[in-house]
Amino acid sequence: MTTDIENTKTVQAWLKGLEDQSGVSRDEGLQRVAVLQDFCALVDKEPDQIIAECLREVEGGKKIRAKGRRFYADRITEFESSIGGGAGEKRQMGNYIRSFLIHNGVLLQTSPLS
Amino acid sequence: MEFKEVVGRRRSIRYFLPWRPVERDKVQTILEAARLASRAGNADFARAIVVERDALSKADLASLTLPVNAGMIEMAPIHIYWWGDLKAFARDMPSRAAEQVDMGILNISHGWTHTFINEVAYPQVVQAFSSDEVLCAKVTGCEAGLAISQALLAAVDEGLGTMLCTYPEEPARQVLGVPDSWTSLWVQFVGYPAESWEAGGQRPRPPLGELFHEGKYGQPFRGTEEGAARLRAEKMIQDPAPFSWRKEEVRAVSRMLGLPEE
Repeated sequence: MTTDIENTKTVQAWLKGLEDQSGVSRDEGLQRVAVLQDFCALVDKEPDQIIAECLREVEGGKKIRAKGRRFYADRITEFESSIGGGAGEKRQMGNYIRSFLIHNGVLLQTSPLS
Repeated sequence: MEFKEVVGRRRSIRYFLPWRPVERDKVQTILEAARLASRAGNADFARAIVVERDALSKADLASLTLPVNAGMIEMAPIHIYWWGDLKAFARDMPSRAAEQVDMGILNISHGWTHTFINEVAYPQVVQAFSSDEVLCAKVTGCEAGLAISQALLAAVDEGLGTMLCTYPEEPARQVLGVPDSWTSLWVQFVGYPAESWEAGGQRPRPPLGELFHEGKYGQPFRGTEEGAARLRAEKMIQDPAPFSWRKEEVRAVSRMLGLPEE
């Protein structure tokens, strides 16, 4: 796996989405990318591969691969558990990864913190 | 709350306080509002199973979860699974109509008699509707929808947040044990809102004349400025989305609940 994921298609789409929809600056976005990089290391996949495993091309658009989405939803939960810090901080890191998937068209919802 | 304001305040609420239970009498009010809705032939089209989220096993909750309802199903303490009974019209109409003839609700002045019900209305109308799958689904969905709409408004009137969402039919059949003749409609999530009741403002809708016509198709219904002003004063028409502070609100609520913020 390469260490420079910033220029991949899906990370670029994410950064643009963060900026356009949520007003997250480029610099702030790059801090999220560093978290994504850790996640990519955990699953040993490139960002584009992750999205490709969650979506497939169909006539007129893309369709979610339920199995892929479920797989990564579970890996994100594992990723959260593997991080130090409080529950809120762990969830925040996990949500960065969820945000990456969501901005690339993978519908993903998560449980509220109890 | 006055009726027009209830209509004006209704929004799909998507953030609920997961820890705050809903009082039983409020759920009862929602169901009563549905029970008393208009319905063809006074038949029992709308059916519902009320479920307390915390009474569901983890496995059952998971089987009722879809990607599009996953957040709400875990946040909302009450789920009302709405179903339409496809057999309702044929089963209920003859006896209910006869009862209404006897009660002076359906009268000779409008042509209603026991003979008309048994020899004309039932065989020619009700049976025809019920034996045609598309017509039956259309009537059942429309009639149950009237009840569901009242249930939504009742929830708003009780100060609750509510919204409709989809649920998986077959798993729901298994978990809830409903009869085969029921068809799945919507799940109504109910709880105390974690977002403000405005939820970002009244949703954009096309103008009245674009949706509704007068005399015939293509001739837009024209309201008056005075009419619109009165509806604004009576709070049916409210400030439309977007609100300048909405995105900040969503971020704050998402952060509080641990949901993705951006």
